[in-house]
Amino acid sequence: MAILVNKKTKVIVQGISGKSGKFHAEQCLEYGTKVVGGVTPGKGGQEVLGLPVFDTVWEAKKALHPDATLIFVPAPYAADAILEAEDAGIPLIVCITEGIPVRDMLEVKRVMNGSKTSRLIGPNCPGLITPGECKIGIMPGYIHKRGKVGIVSRSGTLTYEAVWQTTQLGLGQTTCIGIGGDPLNGTNFVDVLKLFQEDPETEAILLIGEIGGDAEEQAAEWIQKHCDKPVAVFIAGVTAPPGKRMGHAGAIISGGKGTAQQKYEVFRKAGATITENPAEMGHAVQRAMKK
Amino acid sequence: MNLHEYQAKKVLKRYGVPIPEFGVASTVEEAKRIANELGLHQAVLKIQVHAGGRGKAGGVKFAKTKEEIGVIAKQLIGMKMVNAQTGSEGVIAKKILISKPIDIAKEFYIGALIDRNRAAPILIASPEGGMEIEEVAHKMPEKILTLPFSFEGKLRPYQLLRLCKFMGWSGELAKKGAHVAEAMAKCFIETDASLLEINPLVQTPAGEIVALDAKLAIDDNALFRQSEIVAMYDSSQVSVQEAAAKEFDLAYIAMHGNIGCMVNGAGLAMATMDIIQLSGGAPANFLDVGGGASKEKVAEGFRIILSDPKVKAILVNIFGGIMNCATIAEGVIHAAKEQQIRIPIVVRMEGTNVEEGRHLFRESHLKIAVAENMKIAAELAVKAAKG
Repeated sequence: MAILVNKKTKVIVQGISGKSGKFHAEQCLEYGTKVVGGVTPGKGGQEVLGLPVFDTVWEAKKALHPDATLIFVPAPYAADAILEAEDAGIPLIVCITEGIPVRDMLEVKRVMNGSKTSRLIGPNCPGLITPGECKIGIMPGYIHKRGKVGIVSRSGTLTYEAVWQTTQLGLGQTTCIGIGGDPLNGTNFVDVLKLFQEDPETEAILLIGEIGGDAEEQAAEWIQKHCDKPVAVFIAGVTAPPGKRMGHAGAIISGGKGTAQQKYEVFRKAGATITENPAEMGHAVQRAMKK
Repeated sequence: MNLHEYQAKKVLKRYGVPIPEFGVASTVEEAKRIANELGLHQAVLKIQVHAGGRGKAGGVKFAKTKEEIGVIAKQLIGMKMVNAQTGSEGVIAKKILISKPIDIAKEFYIGALIDRNRAAPILIASPEGGMEIEEVAHKMPEKILTLPFSFEGKLRPYQLLRLCKFMGWSGELAKKGAHVAEAMAKCFIETDASLLEINPLVQTPAGEIVALDAKLAIDDNALFRQSEIVAMYDSSQVSVQEAAAKEFDLAYIAMHGNIGCMVNGAGLAMATMDIIQLSGGAPANFLDVGGGASKEKVAEGFRIILSDPKVKAILVNIFGGIMNCATIAEGVIHAAKEQQIRIPIVVRMEGTNVEEGRHLFRESHLKIAVAENMKIAAELAVKAAKG
């Protein structure tokens, strides 16, 4: 089962003619993802990796009927690319691009919140993967192993770390989703938790949060009320000083709010299994499953 | 990116926010000339630094006579301010603002920022000005009004009415106050601000409304379309390391410990600092070389870490995703040789082509310890830093 993507998912790549768009389209193809084409304005009619390229998402949709789009468009134009994909009604929009201005995301959020057709993952995220079936993102495929843990995270490489630990322990993953490190993003923790809760294959959930905002607090509240699956949690940034952006635009403690300690506290209250040691994320999932 | 008060005031003035006459000086002569030009016999002098708490730190002074303006300017220009916000190194005031003194009848607070939950910009207002807004929120939450506004930077008429009632403004005062609020919302959006604050916004005995202080921070992601603001960047307000990191597009934040960290990815970089602390050590910095760091970025990262004299050991933690571990190994070895690094280096790497990467380290004959996992790496680094 897993969630959101599987071996049938057809994917287009917006920005496929660019360096990273092309590189990652190829990596996804190699992993087995059904990448069926791409979009780059002005390059319609050409081919990249033997796949057709279109000028607009509308044309790509008409010709290829994709279920998902993977966006590598540079930050100044990325919001436009997301809005175009939503306008074309692509069901799953995955935006990898880092550095989109918040003002642009205000408009994107307003459209996505009212969208009847589309879901956005990201921006500033590694994408998502259902091991052995479909990879829509930039994560290294081989560290994953199909199994029982659903992983959701605001970070990229820290997610790889968690994936690797659960793979080594033989737990494996159902689907791994990076929701992105920006202050305004599409799909949030609660959206993904709901999907994992409903997925029969997912036996346990690993949530990796970080300082800033209150997405983790909302997740904890939801877990307490609605989640009967074991949940393990790690929050990055116990040592982060207040008022400084820790690499991710969204990772900032402001006005004394959004500290790792506060977030751990709400998850503790919600009955989740927490670990403050990033080397122990896999073991924390094991502990949660034994509870 | 943070702006100085005088820069924020210039921007706000353009949007029609009333600002008391002011000038900016970096020498005593300039300060005297400004006082002359503005015809000031008394003045408020304020250091221009990127940190709050200037008043308490002695960086804001009132000159009662023309002579005193020169004397106080001499004290304040070049002053080093040290408080919790600046860290132990402090920041130096290269410039001071010289402003016409204003009589105060009442102080207000007005600010704008992004509400992440609502995914909307919000205006925050309080009739309790002069205090930190966080303090007001904590002690008197009923004294704070928040109004979400559109991403075009517009407040609705009903919102302005609500604001004026909340602040106790009526008649002419309400017109003036509403004008400031509208200017704030417009300015916030058009400058791609992440924070805009006027604290205090002052009502004078004559019934005018003026901004006595101003704070403006811009979304770094939007600087590509804010060229006028980029020109206001003052690199003297961040540490040498932070300025160098910015130049090479590395995310660096100075910390107080002695273990230098170089990590790819922001989440993993934070987690690495956390595990160092958990292992009984203290990180000297946060450094994210990026998800796809190059050999050159790794070398620059080392240079920045080593320029901090506190650093007694370096921990490199890389999860090579798309990036190849061998490339990272080459970068580290190259930097270690070129910069003749004498302090211990602990490397933990995992991911693509990790065997080749580890092999390169073994063959390099450098004093580099290669750890199998994060936990062991952190323990080795803590031990090494203790000597």
